[in-house]
Amino acid sequence: MIYRPLIALALAVSLPAFSAGDAAAGAKKNFQCQGCHGVPGWKTAFPEIYSVPKLGGQKASYIVAALKAYKNGDRDHPTMKAIAADLSERDMEDLAAYYAGPAAGAAATK
Amino acid sequence: MNPRIPVLVLSLFLAEAAFGASGDADVGRKKSEPCKACHGEAGISVSPDFPNLAGQHVDYLRAALNHYKNGKRKNPIMQGQVANLSQKDILDLTAYYSSQHGLDVKY
Repeated sequence: MIYRPLIALALAVSLPAFSAGDAAAGAKKNFQCQGCHGVPGWKTAFPEIYSVPKLGGQKASYIVAALKAYKNGDRDHPTMKAIAADLSERDMEDLAAYYAGPAAGAAATK
Repeated sequence: MNPRIPVLVLSLFLAEAAFGASGDADVGRKKSEPCKACHGEAGISVSPDFPNLAGQHVDYLRAALNHYKNGKRKNPIMQGQVANLSQKDILDLTAYYSSQHGLDVKY
């Protein structure tokens, strides 16, 4: 009985460890993303032309799933396939944490 | 007044009507009932596995829905959802979600 608060505390402390990505690490890994996703109004050039999606405030698990889908071929865009091919799962989680997180002084525009 | 101007305006209007390049956000809102279960009441999704749609670029959303439709993008849930959407539905739904506020361009 007396251990219950301890168990609760242990769970509370360990929970952040389960939210996989490290946003600060992601902020240092996103140099390949910035040239398109960091430019307001940027559009794809090939094979179809449309705006690259906004990533700021997107759900982290979705971003990881999207990157994995490019890597395994379920999503098909030449640039994204090439970039995702070289990302580890850890990289994907860190990048996702960065984009899902608050703007934190970064130049963010609507 | 240059007599060509009304002709030009009329032909632009007809082109717009013929190609239907713009959607109606209000109509899109009424069509968005099935989307809400995953993407949320106002485009902010209910689970980290589903993307937020609020404020996403309209042309990206159109491309995504069309890619699900033509099989270029594969997802069992979304491929089922888009199967019955017309091009007009896609224009209306994407007009609705892109008009909301949520997502940002982040450097």
